[in-house]
Amino acid sequence: MIQLLSYRKSLRKMSQMQLFFSCVCFHLSLSVILCLQSALVLCMDVGFSMSNSEPGQEPPFEQAKKVIQKFVQRQVFAENKDEVGLVLFGTDGTKNRLAKDGQYENITVHRHLMMPDFELLEEIESELQPGGQQADWLDALVVCMDLLQQETMGKKFERLNIVLLTDLNVQTSADQLDVIINSLKKAGITLQFFLPFPLDGEDRADGGGDGPGPSAASARPGKGLSSQQTQGLEMVKNIMTSLEEEDGLEEVHTFRDALEKLSIFKRIDRRPMAWPCQLTIGSSLTIRIVGYKAVTEEKVKKSWTIVDAQSHQRDDVKRETVYCLNDDDETEVQKDDTIQGFRYGSDIVPFSKVDEDQMKYKSDGKCFSVLGFTKQELIRRHQFMGSQVVKVFAARDDEHAAVALSALIRALDSLKMAAIVRYAYDRRSNPQVGAAFPCIKEKYECLLYVQLPFMEDLRQFTFPMLENNKKFTPSESQLSAADALIDSMMLVEKDEDGESVDVFKVNHIPNPQFQRLFQCLHHRGVNPDDPLPPVEPWLKRALERPQAVSARCQAPLQDVKTKFPLKVVVKKKEQKTSADVFGSSADEPDAKRVKVDEEMEFNLAEIAAGNITSVGSVNPVRDFCALVRQKTVSFDQACQQLTHRIEQLLGNRSPEYYMKSIACIQAFRDQSVSMLTDGLEWCGLLVDYCDVFISCLDSRSDGTHSLQSIHW
Amino acid sequence: MAEWRQYYQNEDDEVEEDEEDSGGDYKISGRDSLVFLVDASKEMFIKSEDGETSNFDMTMQCVRSVYTSKIISSDKDLVALVFYGTEQSKNPRNSFKHVYVYHDLDSPGSQRVLDIDKLLGEKGAQFAEKTIGSGETSLGEALWCCSNLYSDIKLRLSHKRLMIFTCRDDPHGGDGAKDRQARTKAADLKETGVVIDLMHLTKPGGFDVSLFFCDIVSPPEDESELGLQIEPCRKLEDLQKRVRAKELKKRSQSRLTFSLGEGVNLAVGVYVLARTATKPSAVKLHRDTNEPVRTKTRYFHAHNGGILLPNDMKRAQVYGKKQIVMEKDEVDEIKKFDDPGLVLMGFKPMDRLKLHHHIRPALFIYPEEEQISGSSCVFTALLLKCSEKNVFALCRYIPRRNTPPRFVALVPQREELDQSQTQATPPGFNVIFLPFADDIRTLDAHVGPTASDEQVDKMKEIVDKMKEIVHKLRFKYKSDAFENPVLQQHYRNLEALALNMLEPEPIEDLTMPKVQMMDARLGPLAQEFKDLVYPPDYNPEGKPAAKPESGGGAAEKKPKAEISEEELKNHVANGTLGKLTVPVLKDACKQFGIRTTGTKKQELIDALPIFGRE
Repeated sequence: MIQLLSYRKSLRKMSQMQLFFSCVCFHLSLSVILCLQSALVLCMDVGFSMSNSEPGQEPPFEQAKKVIQKFVQRQVFAENKDEVGLVLFGTDGTKNRLAKDGQYENITVHRHLMMPDFELLEEIESELQPGGQQADWLDALVVCMDLLQQETMGKKFERLNIVLLTDLNVQTSADQLDVIINSLKKAGITLQFFLPFPLDGEDRADGGGDGPGPSAASARPGKGLSSQQTQGLEMVKNIMTSLEEEDGLEEVHTFRDALEKLSIFKRIDRRPMAWPCQLTIGSSLTIRIVGYKAVTEEKVKKSWTIVDAQSHQRDDVKRETVYCLNDDDETEVQKDDTIQGFRYGSDIVPFSKVDEDQMKYKSDGKCFSVLGFTKQELIRRHQFMGSQVVKVFAARDDEHAAVALSALIRALDSLKMAAIVRYAYDRRSNPQVGAAFPCIKEKYECLLYVQLPFMEDLRQFTFPMLENNKKFTPSESQLSAADALIDSMMLVEKDEDGESVDVFKVNHIPNPQFQRLFQCLHHRGVNPDDPLPPVEPWLKRALERPQAVSARCQAPLQDVKTKFPLKVVVKKKEQKTSADVFGSSADEPDAKRVKVDEEMEFNLAEIAAGNITSVGSVNPVRDFCALVRQKTVSFDQACQQLTHRIEQLLGNRSPEYYMKSIACIQAFRDQSVSMLTDGLEWCGLLVDYCDVFISCLDSRSDGTHSLQSIHW
Repeated sequence: MAEWRQYYQNEDDEVEEDEEDSGGDYKISGRDSLVFLVDASKEMFIKSEDGETSNFDMTMQCVRSVYTSKIISSDKDLVALVFYGTEQSKNPRNSFKHVYVYHDLDSPGSQRVLDIDKLLGEKGAQFAEKTIGSGETSLGEALWCCSNLYSDIKLRLSHKRLMIFTCRDDPHGGDGAKDRQARTKAADLKETGVVIDLMHLTKPGGFDVSLFFCDIVSPPEDESELGLQIEPCRKLEDLQKRVRAKELKKRSQSRLTFSLGEGVNLAVGVYVLARTATKPSAVKLHRDTNEPVRTKTRYFHAHNGGILLPNDMKRAQVYGKKQIVMEKDEVDEIKKFDDPGLVLMGFKPMDRLKLHHHIRPALFIYPEEEQISGSSCVFTALLLKCSEKNVFALCRYIPRRNTPPRFVALVPQREELDQSQTQATPPGFNVIFLPFADDIRTLDAHVGPTASDEQVDKMKEIVDKMKEIVHKLRFKYKSDAFENPVLQQHYRNLEALALNMLEPEPIEDLTMPKVQMMDARLGPLAQEFKDLVYPPDYNPEGKPAAKPESGGGAAEKKPKAEISEEELKNHVANGTLGKLTVPVLKDACKQFGIRTTGTKKQELIDALPIFGRE
């Protein structure tokens, strides 16, 4: 093992350093274990200057700690397999492999490379404290590089990244900068800097707030930096531009950005899986391509399990699903005695899994076959289907394919056309029809594939016209109010150079669902007995209209408010009161009610022929009404039977049952009223059931939802 | 590979069943119903000038297509087919003369489709002549009969529609009494909520709606609608389009408040105009009787067997060794950011809406005057101005309670009519879902070879050649031109089983490229292009020799995923089972004789600790 010692003070050791990193490359290329994960070292400055701040402002230390917390939180709860190390510098103590003879002091390797876990979160919360020393951030960088080298040996990582969080407020020796840059390049390590202030002086002066919400409360707005910081900033620029040319500076962020834009994650994002295929045009023209999923809706991956409320044990809860016939007794049927069937209109066709598999549509494997070309304008944006966009490139390292695909892309682009293709991911997946649009960027060109609808997916609805409709046509003054509102609420502004800047980029906002979930999991994990915390202010802010826009649109909004009369129509369906359930007679003409009754009577005449003797569970309402009409049993008995059924129905937790029981209560009420029996009985029952019923509904979050969707 | 699955494998257990079924659930709110009332007079059987199809035949084809599409898309809807002006009479109590109820109101099944097939074409006309015949006409009686069909239905009907297909604008030939009776009966029907439409067909000399039918049909949804001025249908395609536009009740998925800020709120209905149609889920049947069975799910305590009520259970997730427990309410609360609704953030020029920012099919919004009056006016003003200024509105969208927000682009769409004055695109805003930072994957773009000067010329030649190819293969894309072969096959299979056919009717897979036709159109172009681009020894279909065959080959070569007992124990102890892949976990279960019913990762992980404890 090569020992790397205090190389920075002597030329002899410099060559050692080069030797060391060529070894890294050697190791990496030889590695046999392939894992598509990343390794990342978080390197945080905890030196005393990080604790300095203007009164009323959060010290950089706290900000940086939050960035780290957020990052680790996400890694833990998203169960990423990336390995993360944590190096602190400016600590009172020293703990690192390179420390010797007064070199690399006050640098602590707090955590070696491993998957982040809940303990790390707890450690950060409780143990990450400001130190009383200062340390050279370049030294810390070398320690991180060494850590990555040592601990990734024998494994292949897709990405190696170092994240430096510092205020640069310390004297650094720049003499070895070139060596360090070369070594980073050789080892393929990428760097990200997070600073309390933005990179550009001008931005700094006005707070640098290009994000949503109030302008960034950076550490020293409007104030000059110390000489060390200025020098440090130059070095950062130097390193980043030599590593990545013009794009390098994009990886220098402010602490604030880091919180709001997931900057760290982008670096270590897993790259999407390549999908090699052939684009075919007719039988003989073939181009080798490779596709990548470029945009797709990310969902929460981990699910909640059900545990017993007392013991918190999962094993204490058993779930049982029973099958039963749709008869009065709900006769149970063994699972093995059931077979699979499908509805075909009114018929149910028994169709076993085996038969289904044998007879189903079979596609002949993956394909990307052109069906034809069409004008782009014929493909409507709102008819895009599916949940993803695939970028299609020519196969890697195949210049002929690259030329062929490039020709197709350019031809389509200049003709404003797109290819309509049949796309099948593999043999087992369903084929799609989609469009491949040409996409020409400065650095690359590709096809963008999006799924399009099948005939069965579309619904043709006709809506009444809005324009030229006397009732709704806005007047000139109303139109100009709308015009002014739009002008005042533009989210794209011109900057000093006349370039338009988007001030509200949705694709830079992290999905609040994840942020919130991770925040709550973290909080509950650390404080099991506390209530859940409120949504973090920055997240709330990120979801609001930018303040500048809010301020600008005040007057035009007021104008709109006065010019357009808007009145809430008293809603009938919003709240379920008894009047809604049982129908209030006030808003329905009597004639109509009579009609309904007549219809019912008519139906009952037929039902009576079926000779109903008791209230069954299949259609209790019908049975009950029939019994009451036929008078074969006493009204009391019929009521008893019905209430028995209602009880049964309420015992099951499913909306269908609720619906049925509501219908029962409704029928009970109607019949009671029409029989002119003592209203008291009805009241008593209602009170009993309403309680049960409401508690049942409450237990299901969607209960009320389904209730609201009924037309009473 | 799993990443590429087309259909998102929902790994959530049933507790998390909050994924939106964007179609909404109509079952509870009642059934839609549709009655086809078809004129069976002699005039209907007269063949058109080109001698191809009679009005009757065209109507039957149209009815058939509605039947089959109902079977696929909304099998709960009720449909009836009634003929009037017939010789024979057939109706429930046979109280109406010259009215023939061919199909009672019921959901359409396979047998009904076959019944319609009998009425198609030349043979169909003969069959019709024999069974129903043509006779006297009384539309009043026919309408009365239809109203009985409706009242015989014991189900709750949410939407009732009746379509009259005829080519006679004066069916009673001037008999005033019959005209009056028909008007009265039509009024009665409309009173009970039935919407009556006229699908008038061509007639020599033109169909004059004002003679009689203007009093029969329901008034259009708003007075400005052109409704009756529409030309009669000449072609099946037109008729189908017109029927299809009316046949489905448009129903909003939800009604929401659209807040512009500062208390300026309007109401909008959210509609789903396109959603992926999937195979319906299977129904469980009793083996002996083929009777459908229902499922009931209960939770009970493993030790004392008591039924667990919702309050007796909590939700938990485990990270490493840490278990985090929450109440069900808290799990819901985490997802709550605000009340449901659309909140305006601001506006952006249309060019800021990127083609590739697509994560879900779009929705459509239209104002709801019944909730907040005045909504339509603001909505129209915004629609006009957005469209004029070529901007879209950016909104925060929360569809339901306890649902996290998404940002959407409201893209203005003005009304467009087609040649026959039917609405081609409705007026309103399309709601385009925008991706968050998490939804965008980082790609390493393939940088193509940079062309030198001489290559630039060559490249131009190649691109021109490709342009010729593109030109030869161009066609007019229509979004409803492709049927889903998977669904079609499924229904053909069901049809075959339902009707005891020997084998299902073959489907035409419209998603397959018409290779021969394409080759013929291209002629020598394909070869010329290849000669320009590919060297003689290049085979684009072969894979480079160095790389192993992907797919099956690679899987075989992979060492079998196995894990030692000790490793497994370590993972169990450290709670790091999540690190392992599903195949490894499955093998581990098998290897150590742990019986699992689940195949999902979480289920496997949950099963393994049993092993750790023993």
